Amino acid sequence: MPRGLWTTTVGSFPKPPRLEKARQQHARGELKAEELEAMEREETVEVIRRQERIGLDIVVDGELYRGDMTTYFAERMPGFAISNPVRSYGNRYYRKPIAVGPIRRKKPLTVDWWKFAQSQTSKPVKGMLTGPYTMMDWSFNEHYPSREAMAMDLAEAINEEALALQEAGAKFIQIDEPAVSVRPEELPLAVKALARAAQGLKAKTITHICYGDFDVIYPALLDLPVDQIDLEMANSRYDLLERFRVHPFTKEIGYGVLDVHSHRIETKEEIKEGLRKGLEVLRPEQIYVDPDCGLKTRTVDEAFAKLEVMVEAVREIRAEKGIDV
Amino acid sequence: MKIETTLAGSYPKLPTEPGDVNLRVAKNRRDQGKATDQDVLEAVRETTRRMLKIQERAGVDIPVDGSAAWDDAQTYVARGIGGFQIEGLIRYLDTNTYYRQPAIAGRIEWVRPVTVEDWKLAQSMSERPVKAFLPGPYSLYRFSRDRHYKAPAEALADLGRALGREAQALEEAGARWIHFEEPWLGKAKSQDAALVKAALEPLLTGRKARTVVHVPFGAPIAVWDSLGELPWSVIGLDLREAPEGWDLIPRVPKGRTVALGLIEARNTRLEDAADVAREVARARALRSDLEYQLCTTASLEYLPADKAEAKVARLAEAARIASRNGG
Repeated sequence: MPRGLWTTTVGSFPKPPRLEKARQQHARGELKAEELEAMEREETVEVIRRQERIGLDIVVDGELYRGDMTTYFAERMPGFAISNPVRSYGNRYYRKPIAVGPIRRKKPLTVDWWKFAQSQTSKPVKGMLTGPYTMMDWSFNEHYPSREAMAMDLAEAINEEALALQEAGAKFIQIDEPAVSVRPEELPLAVKALARAAQGLKAKTITHICYGDFDVIYPALLDLPVDQIDLEMANSRYDLLERFRVHPFTKEIGYGVLDVHSHRIETKEEIKEGLRKGLEVLRPEQIYVDPDCGLKTRTVDEAFAKLEVMVEAVREIRAEKGIDV
Repeated sequence: MKIETTLAGSYPKLPTEPGDVNLRVAKNRRDQGKATDQDVLEAVRETTRRMLKIQERAGVDIPVDGSAAWDDAQTYVARGIGGFQIEGLIRYLDTNTYYRQPAIAGRIEWVRPVTVEDWKLAQSMSERPVKAFLPGPYSLYRFSRDRHYKAPAEALADLGRALGREAQALEEAGARWIHFEEPWLGKAKSQDAALVKAALEPLLTGRKARTVVHVPFGAPIAVWDSLGELPWSVIGLDLREAPEGWDLIPRVPKGRTVALGLIEARNTRLEDAADVAREVARARALRSDLEYQLCTTASLEYLPADKAEAKVARLAEAARIASRNGG
């Protein structure tokens, strides 16, 4: 019996209202850092428990202690300053890093949180990092003479963190590179930087990519030096599968089946249909089923309702197709 | 000779001063049921007023309304044009900003004015001629999915006519400047020249207002022969992202204006005003018979509000130096 269709998530979960409020209080100086962190730990435990209850195969810490996926790292690395808010879409804003000097990793960035999360569960917890190309592309640059110089300094720093996660015991390390899909001419730079960031890793390596022009970057995308590429499939109505028919997808795939920017809870049938389509061109052992992207923009209830339907749909497809876990 | 100043596109919506009206907060409160649509409209109005005031204070000659009401340049306009529906979120070119992708599901037709009331509001707040802002048809088509037309040329011609009708409505309301944002012209290939013409000709022909075709993030080199023949008034070039745009200046038809995009809208590093003025002199040395404007490379909304305001001030300062040196 083939194995496959393991279930997981892309990384972030929504922050519960009490945590959002606490973060605002902390930003205003009304709540001590240790009080905020205590609450973040409580909520992280809750997110892990709920992932276990739903039955996800590989869990995450939920990133409840992070703000934006680039800013969290930039705030902890010398060489970066942080801008005032910049709009990303609709009414959503983030504080964008500004490179103002040489970027270095002086201390662990995520390892303590990973250790804490892994201590709460027997399921594997993914280590979650933002990739060097994306960190570079999503920052302002007032220091480096070139994009490559900045990306490669970041790659070295992120590699130190990835090795530290591996040393701590992480079996899955995800280095997100959502920015690589939009400048096809820079794909070789993204590949070079990600190769440096993943150098020396024996853990399973994953990268997440979203919202890009895949007509241009596929199949060159398969050059990314990781074991698994995580892609949004639902948001593009599974159009990517047509490309896979022409150029087979040769790596493992994180197969997004939930539109994370919609309040609507997907039906089990539509997810199953998406999975059936995928199994026409992909082998079960290639597929890790997950949402299109991080779930942090949903409400807590929406996020878990979507995941429950996803896991149920996967169970039924496993039974239908005779696929083992 | 005075160098006129202008901005390309939208402006950051957030205030820099505590206590100022905050559109983001107003929208959040509405989403939580604590404010009404009218409250959000009032915040849009006050945000527009602030955007114009910042430009006026710096001395920008041709201000923009800042697009306070828009989420992005595609969906706001496409929602109001017949034939479009709005779909999933997608990244806007190589920026870290996103838009919901318009999809063409039927014949494209102008139905009613989409941007005229916004423009009238902004113009009522300024003594200067406020530049109206529309997506260009070629780029709006490239940003969209086409599920209806069999041939892109047919879709582009309909889209050009629809946006041309919107431009006419803006002219009838009094707009003297209309800016068409065309980032995809910088990515077009030479074989796309006929499509570019199909899209832009119905839009630009017979316009009473002065028209700007602005090309951020690239240079329209591959389609220049076709683009150069069209009756636009101003070509806007992003000379930071695409320095090859300098090569187009000698090829600009006589009697036209070049908007020199020399203030980088995608990086916080502040330009030196004297350096920028020297680049204006370089353009004049290439073609002394043309008129020039100084502008941002793209929408300043890619920057935080404090940095955008500093860029606007630097833009005006550079233009003053350039005007003095060229006078």
